[in-house]
Amino acid sequence: MRIADILKISQRNLFRSKLRTFLTIAAVFIGALTLSLTNGVGNGIKAYVNTQLGNLGVKNTLTVQAKQTQANPINNDVRKYEPGKKTGTFNLALLGKNDMDKIRSMEGVTQVIPQYNIQLEYITTGNDKYEAVAAQYIEGLNLEMITGTTVNPDSLDEISLPSRYIMSGTEQEAIGKYAAIAYKNSAGTIIEKAVKIVGVQQQSLLGNSALSISSRLAEEIHYQQTLNVPNLADSYMGAIAQYNVDYSEEELSGLKTRLSEAGYDALTLEDQIGIISQIINGILVVLNLFGAITLLAAAFGIINTLLMSVNERTSEIGLMKALGANRKTIFSIFAIEAASIGFWGGLLGVVVSIVLGNILSNIATNTFLKDFVGFELLAFPLLPSLGVLLGIMLLAFIAGALPSLKASKLDPIKALRYE
Amino acid sequence: MQPIIQAVSLTKIYESAASDMPALNNVSLSIQPGESVAIIGKSGSGKSTLMHILATLDRPTEGELIIDGIHAHNLSSADLDSLRNKKFGFVFQQFFVNARNSSLENVTLPLTIMGIALSERKARGLAMLEMVGLAAQAHQKAGELSGGQKQRLCIARALITKPELIFADEPTGNLDSENGKQTMDLLFKLQREEGITVVIVTHDPDLAAQCDRSITIKDGKIV
Repeated sequence: MRIADILKISQRNLFRSKLRTFLTIAAVFIGALTLSLTNGVGNGIKAYVNTQLGNLGVKNTLTVQAKQTQANPINNDVRKYEPGKKTGTFNLALLGKNDMDKIRSMEGVTQVIPQYNIQLEYITTGNDKYEAVAAQYIEGLNLEMITGTTVNPDSLDEISLPSRYIMSGTEQEAIGKYAAIAYKNSAGTIIEKAVKIVGVQQQSLLGNSALSISSRLAEEIHYQQTLNVPNLADSYMGAIAQYNVDYSEEELSGLKTRLSEAGYDALTLEDQIGIISQIINGILVVLNLFGAITLLAAAFGIINTLLMSVNERTSEIGLMKALGANRKTIFSIFAIEAASIGFWGGLLGVVVSIVLGNILSNIATNTFLKDFVGFELLAFPLLPSLGVLLGIMLLAFIAGALPSLKASKLDPIKALRYE
Repeated sequence: MQPIIQAVSLTKIYESAASDMPALNNVSLSIQPGESVAIIGKSGSGKSTLMHILATLDRPTEGELIIDGIHAHNLSSADLDSLRNKKFGFVFQQFFVNARNSSLENVTLPLTIMGIALSERKARGLAMLEMVGLAAQAHQKAGELSGGQKQRLCIARALITKPELIFADEPTGNLDSENGKQTMDLLFKLQREEGITVVIVTHDPDLAAQCDRSITIKDGKIV
């Protein structure tokens, strides 16, 4: 039999019992919708995270931290106490000056910038005071600016701030104005420091939401905050180590191994993206599981529908077999009917999820994601959507295989006596 | 002349049957091309079993079936499907038409199975309907036809592949005598015109008398 004829018969059979077919398609539709929506959210987040991390990207840098090997209540092993080891609050292992020298002296490391741990009290332009967090601006970091520039690495009085700190006037008007940042020194006295606003940052989910100051200013504040505190003076949260630009993948992993053996954790930007991606993927797997369970239930619906369909058409199958239709033909007619249920349910699910996703995305962009320019909550790239559709069709085909096999094996004589 | 069908010592035993009496016991016969043969017997005599085996719808427990010189037991089930499609036509007591499809679609079903293109199917189907006097009903749903019309539709369906042999299982069983007579007149007329072999299973002696010869089956044996 021709494929066109098999398709025609399948489609006609499919819509013979309209209500039953509709209900089975509805079950597939719900599963497809769930799966497609969760994928949409996943793709939206992933795309955003990737562009954001790409924006952060300083090439050939490693974030180095001391290995966290301190005793903690859930650790089972007992370690020897090391008096020379630097510790901060919460027993966080910190890096000291000797660590900096050690990292700097490593083969392949070209530059080491300490990451200072500084605490701001507030920022003010005269009247109201606002809580603020400061981050050290590393040269080469790709900060997305709405207007102005990033801070000069050598400056002691420049700042760039996220757009939400602009309380009145436009972002452009803020450039060149002065503000004061305040911090407590180690004696507990609040010190205000005048800084010039040189840039306004685009807000994003991952970075850019803190005030940016130069490493030199950070060092200065850190010095003031840790003066005469033996535990914290000369201590750093971590360090940014830049390595040889010409390093290959293997040489880089060699450097990482050397750092690890020396007692440091070193992560490239890609490693950090990897961790975030893993977390997002984990969440998506769970969400997709819901969709998959729905589809599994729908698959049983398809089996049921097909079994009823085979039963109703027993004599028709018998006639076709008597007139010379072979097993393959009969199997195909029913298997394609099953795949069609998957196709219509899947197509409807994917299309509705795209429409729904775009509406939700627009609402999100205009409300709680307003500050995150370029964040589409749901994204539907063509290939994954097509993959969902094909996957559902395959599932439906597999679900239909058993009833189709039953139909193809019907004895024509018995089938013709049926009625 | 080579017989179109030759059966040698056909025996059929149903494993599930309560008694171990064979449904068919050592039946041998041969049918020549162009013949019309009636297989008669009471219900349960084994005549339907014989027809099913001759038509390759069932396989014998023992014995040989030779169709056009080909030993049927050497053929795969797909080969048998293809052989039935090309060489045989079927007319059933219960008609077995697809009520939701048009007369034209019903009459061309064997061609659809054969894989003939739609345009050719249409042309041959319309010609066939014309021949059995159903041209006006071509696009009508088969379910709307009368019993006599349905059986004429089935005859058209059986003839559309230009088969060598037509099996008719109680073709007048569901028709009143007037319609039954008209239907059989049509079948015999076409059989003579086209030189087709016809095997009719019936318990109606009048119908059997119209055939060239009769084979009577009783308790699974030819008598």
